Amino acid sequence: MKKKIPLIAHDLKKIYTIFAVVVVVLFIVCTILTNFNVMSLVSNGDAFWSFITNDFLPPKLPKASRIPGVLSSVLVTLALALSSTTIAAILAMFVALFGSEKVSPFPKLAKVVRGFATFLRNIPALVWAFILFSSLGIGTGVGFVALCITSFAFMVRAFVETMEDVSQDCVESLLTVGGTFPQRVSQAILPSCLSGFLSWFLYCVEVNIRASTIVGMVGGGGVGMTLFSYIKNFQYDIALSIILLIALMVIVVDQVTNILRKELLK
Amino acid sequence: MKQILKFENVIKRYPNGVHALNGVSFEMKEGEFISVIGPSGSGKSTLLRTINKLITISEGTVVLDGEKISDKKGKALRSLRRKVGMIFQNYNLVYSLSVLQNVLHGRLGFMKGFKGIFGIYSEEDKKKALSLIKELGLEQFAYNRASDLSGGQKQRVGIARAIMQEPKLLLCDEPIASLDPSSAKTIMDLLKDMTSKRNIACIVNLHQLDVAMKYSTRIIGLSKGKIVFDDTPDKLTEEAIEKIYGTSYENLMLGGEKSEKEDSFNCA
Repeated sequence: MKKKIPLIAHDLKKIYTIFAVVVVVLFIVCTILTNFNVMSLVSNGDAFWSFITNDFLPPKLPKASRIPGVLSSVLVTLALALSSTTIAAILAMFVALFGSEKVSPFPKLAKVVRGFATFLRNIPALVWAFILFSSLGIGTGVGFVALCITSFAFMVRAFVETMEDVSQDCVESLLTVGGTFPQRVSQAILPSCLSGFLSWFLYCVEVNIRASTIVGMVGGGGVGMTLFSYIKNFQYDIALSIILLIALMVIVVDQVTNILRKELLK
Repeated sequence: MKQILKFENVIKRYPNGVHALNGVSFEMKEGEFISVIGPSGSGKSTLLRTINKLITISEGTVVLDGEKISDKKGKALRSLRRKVGMIFQNYNLVYSLSVLQNVLHGRLGFMKGFKGIFGIYSEEDKKKALSLIKELGLEQFAYNRASDLSGGQKQRVGIARAIMQEPKLLLCDEPIASLDPSSAKTIMDLLKDMTSKRNIACIVNLHQLDVAMKYSTRIIGLSKGKIVFDDTPDKLTEEAIEKIYGTSYENLMLGGEKSEKEDSFNCA
């Protein structure tokens, strides 16, 4: 038998094969565990398509009297995202100063600070929202706090890393002139990290626009709440136009933050 | 001449077990210009950073201007650090700030409270900074961001910042390692000129033997954390150099006239 000349190293080929097998096995196991059959999508396809074509399409505008309300709910969502991210960023900036061994005046506490941030961050905003709703009741205030907690935790991590990347050298030089910790922060760390901080802040705004829509759906107010009320009333065609509105809002915000970020890098 | 610095049997062990300094003792007087040479990893940078306690020593004593820096903390440490200016290989400027602001950073150690935090410097300090910037030939860049400057210009800003401290001792950690030959000469000339004019003692870490021979009044050779040579430049023989770098003379790439002659001889 003639042996074919392989194109890639034997070991690598083995890894690819194992990987493919693992993916297939995992798929089968998961399908069994969840009782989900892909074929049901195809067999129930008619109902699915008729739902989309009959209930969703074409998108319908809400009643003229309702339009200002819908638009103001979009503004509420935007405001919720912006304000929560801003407050979170200011808090995160102070906390991040203590989260880096190289910068903090108490290097031993840095790990604790980072660990705390990681813990907060690993709980999704939606879970926070549910916890807070059950204790504080429904409303934009709770949505605000939920978004604040997660973006605060995220930005603490991001800011710590930005600081460690950027400011090590100039912190050292301000140490040698005999500068105090507040002086090092305001004269070296902040100026050299500001553009990095703002870039992370803008990213967080983008994330929070999406998150605030979802937090709104479960009771946090804003456009998410409006959308959910139409869905609950089976007015899917109006819901679709609101979904399109949300998509438009997200796209516009992404474009604006992209432009701002490019300006920052100049 | 007054003594400015004294090392007594200084040992620095890093947590990973490396002995960066292994019993270093020397004294330094006012007006001296010392070059520290030695292979990478011989402890040159550690030596320099123990002087202003950027690195804490494990054993021994470092006496700076009559005060033991090894047991100073907080405010006392900061006011002692003010007496020691430092210049870095990577310049260590705050690049988003102007040249003037970077130079004025040298005054921060003398400022208190919110004035220091918000950078509200006295008019006197500003005048002094501007005249120093002019002296270093950077007057047209005073309001440029530090990131806009070339390497040699950045290092001049670094020198200005250190001089603003009115230090008694200037530490230079490989100040010309990232510079082209012409900027390197400008920087070394400036260092020599500024320090002798102001009676500032100076310690320079160098990789360039020819530069060390030309500028310094004294050369310290470090090898594996120990001082293996400590004398005037004219005493630095081939043997001494071989001892410092732990390899024979032919294996070293040395600048200066001697090796240039050899190079042209080999080419011919």
